[in-house]
Amino acid sequence: MNQLFSRFALLTLSGAVLTLSACSNDDNDDNEVKPAEALKTEMASNLGPTPASTTTPPTGQPATPRHYAFYNLATKSEVPYTDSATTKWDIAVRTTTILVNGGSSGPGQGGAIVQDGLFSEITAAPATGYNVDSRTAYAIPTGSGKGWYNYNSTTHVVSPIAGKVILLRTATGKYAKLEIVSYYKDAPASPTGTEPRGYYTFRYVYQPDGSTNLK
Amino acid sequence: MHRFSSSAFLLVLVVSPGLGIAQQRPAPADTSTQHLRLREVVVTATRTEKALTEVPIPVTVVSRQQIQAMGAVRLTEVLGEQTGLNVVADHGRGVQMQGLNPEYTLILVDGEPLIGRTAGTLELSRVAVGNIERVEVVKGPASALWGSEALAGVVNIITQKPQHGTRGEVRLRYGANRTADVGGTFNYRHNQLGLTVFGNRYSSAGYTLQPASGQATVPPFTNYTGQSRLSYQLDDKTTFSVSGRYFIEDQASNLPITTEGGQVAQVRLKARQQESSLNPSVTRCFSDKLFGTLRFYHAGYRTKEDYTYTADGTPYDASYFHQTFTRPEAQLDWRLHPKHTLTVGTGYLWETVEATRYDQRQQMRSAYCYLQDDWSPLPGLNLVAGVRYDGHSQYQGQLSPKLSGRYQLRPWLAVRASAGRGFRAPDFRQLYLNFSNPAVGYSVFGTHQVREKVAQLAAQGQLALDPATGQPLINAPLLEQASSLTAESSRAYNAGLQLDPTPKLRLTANLFHNDLRDLIETAAVAQKTNGQSVYSYRNVSRAYTQGLETDARYLLSAHLTLSAGYQYLVAKDRNVVTQLKNGSIYRRDPETLETTRLKVADYGGLFNRSRHMANVKLFYDNQATGWSGSVRGVYRGRYGFQDRNGNLILDTGNEYVAGYWLWNVSAAKTFRQRYTLQAGLDNVLNYTDPAYLSTVPGRLYYASLTVALGPR
Repeated sequence: MNQLFSRFALLTLSGAVLTLSACSNDDNDDNEVKPAEALKTEMASNLGPTPASTTTPPTGQPATPRHYAFYNLATKSEVPYTDSATTKWDIAVRTTTILVNGGSSGPGQGGAIVQDGLFSEITAAPATGYNVDSRTAYAIPTGSGKGWYNYNSTTHVVSPIAGKVILLRTATGKYAKLEIVSYYKDAPASPTGTEPRGYYTFRYVYQPDGSTNLK
Repeated sequence: MHRFSSSAFLLVLVVSPGLGIAQQRPAPADTSTQHLRLREVVVTATRTEKALTEVPIPVTVVSRQQIQAMGAVRLTEVLGEQTGLNVVADHGRGVQMQGLNPEYTLILVDGEPLIGRTAGTLELSRVAVGNIERVEVVKGPASALWGSEALAGVVNIITQKPQHGTRGEVRLRYGANRTADVGGTFNYRHNQLGLTVFGNRYSSAGYTLQPASGQATVPPFTNYTGQSRLSYQLDDKTTFSVSGRYFIEDQASNLPITTEGGQVAQVRLKARQQESSLNPSVTRCFSDKLFGTLRFYHAGYRTKEDYTYTADGTPYDASYFHQTFTRPEAQLDWRLHPKHTLTVGTGYLWETVEATRYDQRQQMRSAYCYLQDDWSPLPGLNLVAGVRYDGHSQYQGQLSPKLSGRYQLRPWLAVRASAGRGFRAPDFRQLYLNFSNPAVGYSVFGTHQVREKVAQLAAQGQLALDPATGQPLINAPLLEQASSLTAESSRAYNAGLQLDPTPKLRLTANLFHNDLRDLIETAAVAQKTNGQSVYSYRNVSRAYTQGLETDARYLLSAHLTLSAGYQYLVAKDRNVVTQLKNGSIYRRDPETLETTRLKVADYGGLFNRSRHMANVKLFYDNQATGWSGSVRGVYRGRYGFQDRNGNLILDTGNEYVAGYWLWNVSAAKTFRQRYTLQAGLDNVLNYTDPAYLSTVPGRLYYASLTVALGPR
């Protein structure tokens, strides 16, 4: 039975590697924004700041990085942290915290709603009701079970909650929907908690025309 | 009452320490023949002596002979092989019954509770089995008689009572992992005076399943148990007795800890557990119709843990836990008619706890009374109705009724059914804990003081403020729920059959359903400025467990008994089922990273429950030749271990632990009716699962010698 089990693990692993290479291919596509009728679902892999060199107990993981990693949904690319005071970025991540470019976090119009449902079933963004980052609470709440992830205190694994879709108003006031699918580098199929963490893999649909249509 | 038949049965067992003596009984009756024929008496089901075959609720009895044949030394080994019981580890090894966690089963020694549930589970390996007469296991709620904790059922450990004459027994056992068990019993009874003494030393070098962790799975330990009972017959109607128990265990281990700088340091943990109890009682037969018992019980439990750095011996951490339990109780049994007995009892309970994570010495008081009517209105029909009320100083009073009945339809067929309520009081932790995690920064407060503590934190400016209102972020409805915490409770139904199609075969089957409500969970009642939460407890969850338990026992020959048992179990969280019906639980495929909505059928139920559990046992006992032996197999079907895909429920294959069989064998030979040599192998196939099964150490051998002392 043990043998069978390990064979299964191997299969899932190789499966994961295949999917990943597919993702990175997507990323390597041309970075131009196409004003298409049918919106394309984009996949971003391993968004995360450079880790600090020291480690934290009890996981032995690197300590919290100094800077966030910033991302622009329209250009499908990371933005250097030196541009943090501009509207060039829409979301920023560091460990389990996600910022949107607005309120206390940036000069943009950014806001977010965390909604239950399937990514594919959400076809329109609400026009209002967006939360904005403030000094005491983020638009995308942190904490296990409160926002986008669950934390297992036994294994220390952070798992993005399936069925949580983040509706975003970007820095420039456009709408998008986003789903985080992994918190670990290269999106391992069954994370054990020892993989490099804080590397976001997420899919999103960005509406460049300013409408709330996310079909 | 069946006092005579009971003492005759006890006597037979006591004079046959080394698995029996042929000469004393004309027919070479083996243990199982006895089981089928003797009027085996139990006391836990109705708090009066009642024949096992006549009780209207499911009761399992494990006899002294079975325990000896198994070669068992601790209670965990004995219970782990019984149908429908599952020994699980959660801050100690306890027994899961009808799919309910160990904290829902009351553990008694001679009708008085064992204490020391630091985190819900009572460590059952604390109980040595060398002086046990029998273990009675009552399934289904018994709060109508026994009060709190008897929600899934009751395990009552009946120790040996003084028997006529002077005799004793000495036993030595040694086995794998340098496990040594040395002990003895002494029995004396002459005229009015009776005495039993039991002493035991148990030690082991422990074992390590995952050497890479740098930590022993079970570190080396040594424990001692002393237990004694003195009885004195004041006159022909009145008996006074006093029993006492003392247990002490020392355990030392090394564990690596990671300091804030990221370095790993070795820490040595020295732990000591102590448990003691004293239990005087008086019984009086006022007449042949009226029988009274007056008992007093005081128990104490203390633990002490000291952590020091191995390098320089400086302290790293220390903790302690002290608990006391004091209870006087009176009971009257009134036999209105040979077929009608009324039982009434009342008692007062005073508990205290003092521990590292509690503000001060905390106290709880409770008073209770119970009433039971045991009536046989027609031949073959027995009805038992009972009700108990527990008034408590810290939470709402609890009324626990129960009705059960048994009907002998045919000489070979009986049906029985029962319905009742069980409850479990909030424990000390849930009421009084005061703990702030220094590393992470969250706080947990018991419900008794959470309001006060939250107000304090708010005054100190430690609570985060709502940006809109400027008020502290306190969840008022949750705080209100926490402050009005009440007991967890269940409504349970059991219905079953007892079949004796031939004198050699007995079959029993029982269907059960436990409907649990007000299960206690943690709740975040406020937000701190450090981004962490303030937690307390509230009644929230609803769950159910249901299934079927069956047992069969067949006499293959005069010396050979085959038995088999099986339990089918379904245990689910009702809130999860509701969410699934609403389509609001999802999962993500780990390979495609696609998210899908879960269906009700995808839910595997509560974690750590096996849908299928089974056992097969073959016992051989030939008293003429002095040989005996056993082969026992116990199966635990696959069960959920932990969530892996972040939706917190059991739904995918990799969240399960594989099912497994454990096979144990033993053989014994008695020489000159005095010396018994026994040898055995536990877990013959050497099954281990280091990552998920800390309680199974792999193959274990042992050998023992028992010497019976006194006249043969």
